[in-house]
Formats: sequence, structure tokens, C-alpha cells
Amino acid sequence: MRTDEKLHAYLDGELDAAASLELEREMAQNPGLRAGHERLRELSAAVREKADYHAAPARFKVRSQKPRAWLLAPAFALVLAAGLALGVFLAQPRDDDSLGAAVVATHVRSTLAGRLIDVASSDQHTVKPWLSARLPFSPPVADLSPEGYVLAGARLDYLDGQNVAALVYRRRQHVIDVFVWPSRDSAHSAYARDGFNVVRFGSGGMRYWIVSDLNRNELADFARLLAR
Amino acid sequence: MSDRARFERQVLPHVDAAYNLARWLTRNDHDADDVLQEAMLRAYRFFGGLRGEARPWLLAIVRNACWSWLQANRPAELAADEAGEPDAPGPESILARELDRRAVNAAIAGLPVPFREALVLRELEDFSYKDIARIAGIPIGTVMSRLARARRLLAEALKPAAAAPRLRVHK
Repeated sequence: MRTDEKLHAYLDGELDAAASLELEREMAQNPGLRAGHERLRELSAAVREKADYHAAPARFKVRSQKPRAWLLAPAFALVLAAGLALGVFLAQPRDDDSLGAAVVATHVRSTLAGRLIDVASSDQHTVKPWLSARLPFSPPVADLSPEGYVLAGARLDYLDGQNVAALVYRRRQHVIDVFVWPSRDSAHSAYARDGFNVVRFGSGGMRYWIVSDLNRNELADFARLLAR
Repeated sequence: MSDRARFERQVLPHVDAAYNLARWLTRNDHDADDVLQEAMLRAYRFFGGLRGEARPWLLAIVRNACWSWLQANRPAELAADEAGEPDAPGPESILARELDRRAVNAAIAGLPVPFREALVLRELEDFSYKDIARIAGIPIGTVMSRLARARRLLAEALKPAAAAPRLRVHK
């Protein structure tokens, strides 16, 4: 393989571990090679962020609509939780964290309405293009099934005055909503709100808000995996 | 589950990816629509033969439909000079962050088909080299050289001087 092809394979995650290490060592010695890698990375990012993604016209998407059975059980559990949460919303004084409130409310609302998922798939390569086709950005979609967090699908949502990606993961009976949108804000915090655990952080130019009734420790682990 | 329901569940989620490829290869909505229509019929007919993942399988069908269509309607576009300069430098330095969408789209559209398809499958659809090789029916080594070439041509097309020659000011 020629050196310039190696740079491309490295960028694309297609170089094996030994060859990657060797190239990294070479780059550490050779500023020209390092700069070449950096330019390639920027070019690739520019294409991913800026090239048009052409979604198929609606007539190609006609399909029979059936309720997805697996949604019903967790949805029912959350109806109870949401009922409680709504009661608490009314009793609680206003706070500064209106976005946090909006995130939890959106999670509850989508669960109540049974509108958790627009594209149902455990395959990140299905979910990501689906979202990219409908949003002005391309959210990272991680496969965390080896760690026990199973991707269930995604939907579009609206937060902070813009369209955002909502990724839906499941762990046991718990539904985890991950809201993602581009932002430079990188503040990190974790707290409980109205019976839900909330984690927010920034990574790779994206803002993440995670909401679930999953316990705090596991949700923190999940957030760490996403931020990797 | 009926064949139709299985097709809808396994194949239809990938119809955006299929259209995106057809649209980038034919470069207009009308032709992409025609090609996808034909490719979806073919996919439905051969659905029984699907083993493994539906997404690369469908895109291989779409890709072949695009090439047949181009061969019949615009054969000149399929020619591409595959021989890269052996010691070609990496892409030129460009201010990638400052590029606008129109320039990026025009530069990709300007790539010869074999390089354009490799780039679209890699950067917009996130396929592995192995899947791209399968979809385009070429060896992995060719995927690599086409991708390297595609990015080099793209960087050249996006150089400030090439993108906006009229903006140069001579004092």
C-alpha cells in the first residue's frame, strides 16, 4: 500500500492495529505526514457535513403501518411515571434550567403519545442516514449493543428552538432518549429530575442530553460510552 | 410474515440510501427517480436471494441499475483515468471549514463516476471498504485507490483559486 493510501485507510478506520501504530509513529516524526492527515480529516468532515443527502421521494416509502408491539410495554410503565412527573411539574417552582425541563417533558410526551420512534432499527448504518437525510447535520450514532445498550431507532424532535435528533436506546425494560444537536456548549452535568435521570455533555461539536428512568450509575456509564 | 411484509421491513428502511446513491450518480431528480423505480422492482423480484445484510445488497442493485442507465444514456461519463500519479502529494491545503455547501456539492458532482460512487458510499453512507468493494464489484485495493483519487480530485476542485477565480484581485 502506498503511504498516501495508508493515510486514507487510517482515516477510514480500515488500517489494522499494527499498521495504525506504525503510521502514528511515522506521523509523530514527520510533520508533513501529520499535516497531510489533518487536511484529509478536514476534507472528509467537510463532505460529511456539507454535501447534500438526497432522501427518496415519499412514493418510495409506502408501507403498511402496524403498531410495534415492543413499544407498548415500556410505554405503559412510563405512562405511570409520566403521570407522577406531570404532577410534580405543576408543583415545582420555575428554575433556570428550562432546557432540562423541556428535555424531560419531551421525553415524557413522546412516550405518552407512543411516538418514540420514526425509524425502527438496531442498525446504526440505517439510523444515521435516515437522520442525516432529515436534519441539517449528521449526528453520531453509536452501536453500544456489546455493552448492553441496544439501539431501538430514532425520531426527529424539537428542542432549544431547533430540530434535533432523538436516538432511542433500550436497556432491559428502560427506554433511554438521547437528544443530539450541534453546539459548542460543552458543560457536563448529571442530576435527577421528576423521577428521571438526566445527563448532559458536549462532545465533538455536538450537545447531548440523555433522559431515562434507568438508574443513575448505569446512565452515567452509558454517557461515558457515548462520549468516547 | 408475507414476502411483501418482509421486504418492507428489511429493504424499505434503506430506500433513502438507495435514492441518495442514484441521485449522486445520475445527478438529477428525474433520472434518479427512474433508476430507483427500476432498481426497487428488481430488488423485489430477487428478494428471495438475499443472504446477509439488506443495505449493501440493495445498494449493489441500485449501483448496477445506475451503471446500466449511464451506459445507455451517457456512456462517456463512465470513463475514468484510473492510473494515479505514483508519488502524488496529499490533498492541497484548503480551508475546509469555510467551504460552502454549494462548492462542496459542485466539486463532488464534478468527479468522474467511479470516484464519485466510492466517495458517496464512504462519506455519506459510511460503508466499509469491504462493502464498497461488494457494491461496486471491484477489489478492495481498487476501492482504496479510487477513494484516495476521489479525495485528491476533490481537494483540487475546492482550492480557493479553482473554486472562485473571479474573486482574485490584481493590484
